[in-house]
Amino acid sequence: MSSSKSNKIVKLESSDNKTFEVEEAVAVQSETLKNMVDDGCANDTIPLPNVNGKILEMVLGWCKKHVDETVTGDELNKYEADFLDLDQADLYGLLMAANFLNVKGLLDRVLQRVADMIKGKKPEEIRRIFNIKNDFTPEEEEEIRLENAWAFD
Amino acid sequence: MSRRVRRKVARKGKVLPSYPEVEDEVLVLERKENVDWTNLPDDTVIQLFSCLNYRDRASLSSTCRTWRVLGMSSCLWNSLDLRAHKCDVSMAASLASRCGNLQKLRFRGAESADAVIHLQARNLCEISGDYCRKITDATLSVIVARHEALESLQLGPDFCERISSDAIKAIAFCCSKLKRLRLSGIRDVHGDAINALAKHCPNLTDIGFIDCLNVDEMALGNVVSVRFLSVSGTSNMKWGVVSDFWHKLPKLTGLDVSRTDIGPAAVSRLLSSSDSLKVFCALNCPVLEKYTSFHVNKNKGKLLLALFTDIFKEIASLLVDTTNKAKNVFLDWRNVKNKDKNLDEIMNWVEWILSHTLLRIAESTQQGLDDFWLKQGAALLLSLMESSQEEVQERAATGLATFVVVDDEHANIDWGRADAVMRDGGIRLLLDLAKSWREGLQAEAAKAIANLSVNNNVAKAVAEEGGINILAGLARSMNRLVAEEAAGGLWNLSVGEEHKGAIAKAGGVKALVDLIFKWANGGDGVLERAAGALANLAADDKCSTEVAVAGGVHALVMLARNCKFEGVQEQAARALANLAAHGDSNSNNAAVGQEAGALEALVQLTRSPHEGVRQEAAGALWNLSFDDRNREAIAAAGGVEALVALAQSCSNASPGLQERAAGALWGLSVSEANSVAIGREGGVAPLIALARSEAEDVHETAAGALWNLAFNPGNALHIVEEGGVPALVDLCKTSVSKMARFMAALALAYMFDGRMDEFALIGTSSESVSKSVSLDGARRMALKHIEAFVLTFSDPQAFAAAAASSAPASLSHVTEGARIQEAGHLRCSGAEIGRFVAMLRNPSSILKACAAFALLQFTIPGGRHAVHHASLMQNAGAARVLRAAAAAATAPLEAKIFARIVLRNLERHHMEPSL
Repeated sequence: MSSSKSNKIVKLESSDNKTFEVEEAVAVQSETLKNMVDDGCANDTIPLPNVNGKILEMVLGWCKKHVDETVTGDELNKYEADFLDLDQADLYGLLMAANFLNVKGLLDRVLQRVADMIKGKKPEEIRRIFNIKNDFTPEEEEEIRLENAWAFD
Repeated sequence: MSRRVRRKVARKGKVLPSYPEVEDEVLVLERKENVDWTNLPDDTVIQLFSCLNYRDRASLSSTCRTWRVLGMSSCLWNSLDLRAHKCDVSMAASLASRCGNLQKLRFRGAESADAVIHLQARNLCEISGDYCRKITDATLSVIVARHEALESLQLGPDFCERISSDAIKAIAFCCSKLKRLRLSGIRDVHGDAINALAKHCPNLTDIGFIDCLNVDEMALGNVVSVRFLSVSGTSNMKWGVVSDFWHKLPKLTGLDVSRTDIGPAAVSRLLSSSDSLKVFCALNCPVLEKYTSFHVNKNKGKLLLALFTDIFKEIASLLVDTTNKAKNVFLDWRNVKNKDKNLDEIMNWVEWILSHTLLRIAESTQQGLDDFWLKQGAALLLSLMESSQEEVQERAATGLATFVVVDDEHANIDWGRADAVMRDGGIRLLLDLAKSWREGLQAEAAKAIANLSVNNNVAKAVAEEGGINILAGLARSMNRLVAEEAAGGLWNLSVGEEHKGAIAKAGGVKALVDLIFKWANGGDGVLERAAGALANLAADDKCSTEVAVAGGVHALVMLARNCKFEGVQEQAARALANLAAHGDSNSNNAAVGQEAGALEALVQLTRSPHEGVRQEAAGALWNLSFDDRNREAIAAAGGVEALVALAQSCSNASPGLQERAAGALWGLSVSEANSVAIGREGGVAPLIALARSEAEDVHETAAGALWNLAFNPGNALHIVEEGGVPALVDLCKTSVSKMARFMAALALAYMFDGRMDEFALIGTSSESVSKSVSLDGARRMALKHIEAFVLTFSDPQAFAAAAASSAPASLSHVTEGARIQEAGHLRCSGAEIGRFVAMLRNPSSILKACAAFALLQFTIPGGRHAVHHASLMQNAGAARVLRAAAAAATAPLEAKIFARIVLRNLERHHMEPSL
């Protein structure tokens, strides 16, 4: 296990009432949880009504990997690459959770992954990928075209 | 810039299934249940925007109202880099509504400079422009007049040739908040302009008059606010005046006199007499360096950065904690928790001037700097690549791309320098830079990777670090410079056999083909690189199929037809040649021929004034002529005339061109009609000349062409008349290539098996006597050498054993000794096989043996066309003739044994008809 000095356990409860017990060193990878721990709110189970069990497990898995000093740099790179091989719903959930829990590294990686899905795509393609409704009026469409022409030139 | 190319005319290889289309990950994701991405928190979306370049940001903003609004968030519009974008007045005006809080602007070129004011970015603090040669005093004056909040103005590194002291005065009058002014390449910086700066800009702490012609040194001594001053590369400095006045500048902390003619006296005086001076940078100052004994007196902790000092160590002394390794000094400083503003200013300035000067030194390709680059230059560039200043990162990457190239002409790179880059983890750093969303960094990093990858070891490291995926991604960039450098990287990487598959897997093939369509009408650089990379990839069987699937045939033919740049033509023709080089293993050969205008274009390119273009076009036609339909279509497109003309004109050309010119004629001459046409056009003489070449590769193709031509008695006579017999005899006797010797022997056999004599007799009767006399001499000479040739493949012991027993093993032994590996690739027509079968009955025992020897080569089981030949022989009733030859009492032993082997070969083919 981790050689972290503090082996205090933090209890977390997901939106679907699953409980997780993790070492404090793992939990504080999340800025949000760290603040709670620092404020002494971590003695009882911390409810996380925004995060379901599946996603929470993933986030905690990520955090564990990143405090584990026995993991080499190469292993971590491989882990991170595999980790993000997800379907869109999980990616979205993970992004929301990483944002809410404020896990910096994870948030950056998920954002980068989403950015990679956008790169080089036309607006219609982006709408299709993310299932976004085009809510512009034709006049607005024209405005936007002029607004953005500089970037496409 | 640098690249390395390689041609491969592979005619072997198995048919393998092509890769499955790389499945679009996005589509996989799409099938899942819907989530509403527009519900993401605003700050997360803004963060997402900040991971994207401007094009992608614009696309994302164009999807829906929510995201349009978020895309206008002022934090995304703090700084703007317009360098990759065409920015004219109307574009700038369309941006104005978003530029209210713009702090930092980078632009490129005079047109953009004129447009800057239309951004109406009144709060702009920093302006930095490059490609400034045409920017005028008027433009600059208007810019500074409209941006009174300006704190930093930088124009360079190109010389601002049209900017004078008047504009500098305007800067002084308008921008009272100015802190930093760096200008490059100004002719004269007059005293009154400098004095105006001193008077009106009390906060001016950082001045650079770089690569200027004349700067008023004395006036610079009046700018009491200055802390950092660079006159690097500026000529005509009066160092006496400098040392008299500058040491009095009360705040002067950093002074950069790199690339000037400063001498030791001035350096010593400044170092000893200035109280405030901390960093003195004098890189590449020849006068100073001549004084090898010059050593820095212990000047109260003042640093001297020069080619002969330990720069890392000097800089490390600035940091309080000097326990760490000096080489990590930049990293240590960046990681310091408690920021020291004063130190940060010094370090940022040092980074900037170092990156500038190192790039200038790299560009100058001076001799004698190996030691510097290996010991510290490379490591410095790598450290600077991690700078937090984007410009510094860019320049460091450009520096890396530049300093490894030692020979621009031949794109050679210095292995020692490349190794130094690798050793210090440079590949990883470059790839990280290339992953940035900033296109300037992407382009420079890709360029450095491309140049370094000329070296195999670097290419390997790049591939191992995941560079192929990154480059393939950048090749899809909408930014031409980025795509161009990435294509260059793929070009160099694709030289390695082991990287081709990886490039295809990363979607590189499709990306490269798309590049050609995207910039079909512009940019020879990007087109040449894309075509060059595709050419290398097409040499691989699997990848060549991918190239075709991705629409590469159409793209490359389009280039061959329409592009006017020779470099592009050359690579396009080479790519088509390699695409067509896979023979029966895929259908690309036929596909190229069917592309409208392809063959005509290639025929046309054989007339190019550029030798490389001619060579690759001939190579392409050679490979294409393996397909029967293409062969006739090439002839119909005027290929015979063009290629004969090419063969006639290439006596002094490179062996590569000679080989392909003869090769293309060889390919065309497979049909007798073409053969006759080649003879008629005067192709015989140049082919004989090529047969006399020194180069082995040329021997093969010239001998092959002459062999095909000799099938026709008219041509055969022509060959004799043009002095071809001694040339062929020479080849047959001395060529290093077994194939050339073999085909020369076969050509001679055709010429003297009797058909030519009949033809010659029908000719003019008055000359017939003398002709037959000369023919007799030539015939004797030819037969003698054919015999000698066949005997070199006849091991007497093996023959004796085979004669004594009919055991298969002894025959196999003879076959092994006689086999010419490459002859298995030759494909004969029914007429040719028939002719050899007939030759088995020729009165000349030498020709009998030669015919049996040839048939043996053509029917060895496992040979590419052996089954085809066996069935042709069956049709010609060869078995009977062979049995007769094998049993004939009068025939020479070789003929009998070879005939027996051929019989056995035929039997084996009949037993295994599927083979």
